[in-house]
Amino acid sequence: MIRRDAIETVCSYAKNDIIVSANGFISRDLYSSLEKDTNFYMIGSMGLASSIGLGIALKKKRKKIFIFDGDGNILMNLGSLVTIGSLQPNNLIHLIFDNKIHESTGGQPTFADKIDISKIAKMTNYTVFSVKTKKTLENVLKKSQNLRGPIMIHIHVAKSKERSSRVEISPKRITTRFMSAIN
Amino acid sequence: MNEKIQRKIFQYFKKNKIENFVGVPDSTLKHFINEGLKNKKILIANREEEAIGIGAGMILANSPTIMFMQNAGFANSISTITSLIQLYKIPMIFLIGWRGYLKDDAPEHEKIGQIQPKLLKNLCLPNRILTDTTWEKNCKWALTKIKKNEAVALVIRREFLD
Repeated sequence: MIRRDAIETVCSYAKNDIIVSANGFISRDLYSSLEKDTNFYMIGSMGLASSIGLGIALKKKRKKIFIFDGDGNILMNLGSLVTIGSLQPNNLIHLIFDNKIHESTGGQPTFADKIDISKIAKMTNYTVFSVKTKKTLENVLKKSQNLRGPIMIHIHVAKSKERSSRVEISPKRITTRFMSAIN
Repeated sequence: MNEKIQRKIFQYFKKNKIENFVGVPDSTLKHFINEGLKNKKILIANREEEAIGIGAGMILANSPTIMFMQNAGFANSISTITSLIQLYKIPMIFLIGWRGYLKDDAPEHEKIGQIQPKLLKNLCLPNRILTDTTWEKNCKWALTKIKKNEAVALVIRREFLD
């Protein structure tokens, strides 16, 4: 399964939910899979999707928040796992699309092939699922609908040459429409 | 700045509908932070950038938020300020403790303390210094700015050595 397929699969379970997506190809894949006002597409500030998602989750307790993160992104802000695990927002689902490379910058390796991100998340008191196939991903997504967060779904994806198009909405517009849609 | 005024500043913001105070501790701001902890309004993050991310999320959820941090941590966060807060027009107030304001502060604060005013200027981040006599006027100014969707900084100088 490549990241784009994984993102499309998750999107079919998050049609009415808030999504915060990490910068790089993850935001692009989300933009081509499920464009909607309740998506917050990051184009900069690498590493912070999990923190932004946490801030929203703490204030919108009745809404479900999906964070679309990458291995490179979460490794840049591992401390956020400690904060999320400590505060236990039960409406937060954290997806790690893990291809073990920085695909957006040319495929350079991360250390996600040496250290298992799932294990770190377990240590920080997330409920963790690690999946490799589309079928298991769907099962976990169904199951997680009835579970309390914070949940991490660690999705192992293959690298690919597929490129989704850039997010064509201005950051200012992303903010205003996102705020009107969720508040 | 003395303890009494720092506590007043916290209460002023709380009274004026600031709902969250997120940041990383700084000794210059310790009475402000302590007042916030007593009021159960403080969230302490691991790093300043992480704090800014959380604060941005809260503001997106319509919950006004102030960030507190030392100027060293503010400097750590420059890319987050330019590529998230300013780029996405997120109205955030930064409350910054200015280490290195005094020439004989600890050596690690010397350089960053020297460039602190230039740093804010180059970032085009409107800012004011809070003193015992100007704090109320300048805090009010900051609240007016965030209502216009602007990000601003308020600075408290470290005027003592320990």
